[in-house]
Amino acid sequence: MLLYLFKRLALTVPTFVALMFLTFVAIRLVPGDPVEVRTGERGISPERLAQFRHDLGLDQPVWKQFGDYVWALLHGDFGTSVVTNEKILTEFATLFPATVELSLCAMLFAVLSGVPAGTFAAVKRGSWYDQTLMALSVAGFSMPIFWWGLLLIMQVAVKWGLTPVGGRIDPIKFYFEAKTGFMLIDSVLSGQVGAFKDAVRHLILPTIVLGTVPLAIIARMTRSSMLEVLSEDYVRTARAKGLSPMRVFGLHALRNALIPVITVIGLSVGGLMAGAVLTETIFSWPGVGKWLIEAIGRRDYPALQGGVMLVSAIVIFVNVAVDMLYGIINPRIRHG
Amino acid sequence: MDSGVMKPAADVAVGGGAAAIKPPTGLRVIWSSFSENKGAVIGLVLLSVIVMMALFANVIAPYSPLEQYRDFVKVPPMWEAGGLRRFPLGTDGLGRDMLSRLIHGARVSLFIGLMVMAVSFVCGVVLGLVSAFSNSLVDTVISRVMDLLMSVPGLVLAILIVAVLGPSQTNTIVAVTVVFLPRYVRLVRASALAELGKDYVTSARVIGVSTLYLMFVTVLPNCLAPLIVQSALGVSEAILEAAALGFLGLGAQPPTPEWGTMLADAREFIRSNPWIVTLPGLAILVTVVSINLVGDGLRDALDPKMQRS
Repeated sequence: MLLYLFKRLALTVPTFVALMFLTFVAIRLVPGDPVEVRTGERGISPERLAQFRHDLGLDQPVWKQFGDYVWALLHGDFGTSVVTNEKILTEFATLFPATVELSLCAMLFAVLSGVPAGTFAAVKRGSWYDQTLMALSVAGFSMPIFWWGLLLIMQVAVKWGLTPVGGRIDPIKFYFEAKTGFMLIDSVLSGQVGAFKDAVRHLILPTIVLGTVPLAIIARMTRSSMLEVLSEDYVRTARAKGLSPMRVFGLHALRNALIPVITVIGLSVGGLMAGAVLTETIFSWPGVGKWLIEAIGRRDYPALQGGVMLVSAIVIFVNVAVDMLYGIINPRIRHG
Repeated sequence: MDSGVMKPAADVAVGGGAAAIKPPTGLRVIWSSFSENKGAVIGLVLLSVIVMMALFANVIAPYSPLEQYRDFVKVPPMWEAGGLRRFPLGTDGLGRDMLSRLIHGARVSLFIGLMVMAVSFVCGVVLGLVSAFSNSLVDTVISRVMDLLMSVPGLVLAILIVAVLGPSQTNTIVAVTVVFLPRYVRLVRASALAELGKDYVTSARVIGVSTLYLMFVTVLPNCLAPLIVQSALGVSEAILEAAALGFLGLGAQPPTPEWGTMLADAREFIRSNPWIVTLPGLAILVTVVSINLVGDGLRDALDPKMQRS
């Protein structure tokens, strides 16, 4: 097991090197001089310009710049934002919990509603419920989530006034220190009355929007995997023994049907990050997705570079972790 | 392959007398299996309508998608109070006819989707076959590059590419193609490798056909079924991705009537003019759903191994 983990981690090294190369090259292909962008329109003296160039290392040969870039990355230095002058890693770290909170809630929502829905559809195969659910799942899978978000804001938030339009918490009513960065936890820690409820209200719509595509996939996957399992001998045996349907479907069948579903959950981490970009933009959710898009708008290329690097690194590591988990959940997969 | 093996056996069983009953040809088998699937047929009908709209946008659309009727700004659809028959689906914030913009949008979206599909199909086939047929160094390089592209979340990679190249319709196609390319390459490589071990490839080699012939004429046709399914579903994903870029302001630029771009500044109309928000998204949803339904039907028809459940 441990050996397999090391092997898997070793295999990510070439990917990381290539990723560094990709982000390095990409930023250099951007038209325009990063120094001139920084100096603004009025311009500065040639000496200061040269000084800037030297400070940024842009007067070095390209291969040396790449070497410095890799060296800095290995020391945890992902560069400095040209707009805020903050370390990219610091900015990322303050915003990342918001994205994680949203993604976890979305995944939880997708699993908690997708698995029962899919199981029930498989048990009642061909029924009216089954057909409706499958039609809905095609729609959910095809959903342009940025539009879905706008639609929900229009109906639920604006017309019915049930939820806020965006943000994580009402900044006028509640103010407290971000201790963990997770609003649900911070709001409880703050001890302010109603803060937790307000945080939950802010989470509802983004969670639904980000969870819709995974929900559709999970419901579909659970259904087809459940159908496969239901035709197995051990399910027939369990039924023949006279176990209650609840026990047969819920315990014997579902357990085994869930293995491919877990694979899907693991594979959708990348999709969640991509979806987070859109969801956060729609709901003004202060996470890394919105920050990346704003970095483009502000021409803050180091932030974009570091952000892409960090997001990809996280996805790669999560995928390794998911791979490891399979071995624990499904003993049939032997990591040799 | 399988049918080739089965045929003699069937002939023996039926005997010479039944020669009048012709075995159904390939396309007919596919169609009969496809048409059994209700959803797929509905999808095909919807898709045909959308394709027609895209092809004949100039003829069907009542107005130019770009012309601004300044006296008729934000007219609601005709079934709502204050709607005008002149503008069946209303007008947008600049007084442009929504219906005409949506019809022309079909052209833009389908064009982007098909271009992405075509380019990644061709590049995917070439790179995948080269990867499967060449020595381990070339194979490793191609596979690693594809791994890299897959390690960055799709939309994030597309955003990075567009941020570097600058936002435009062409660059949207480039970005989304790069995102989807690895799937095609992997698919072709994997199925080509599976075919390479089979007897008919060995016999073709023994006969002495050239590598190029072996790649494109002998092996490729047997890898096509999953590839066609992937391409069909790939079009819908490409349309979604391109619309998402448009929505973020990084895709086709205004005033192009791209559905995602039309939604980009729709936020300001949420409270006052909901149809400006609703209609473009609905167009995206219907198009993507219809393509996905057709793709599902194709998968069931082309790939008997993937049973319909």
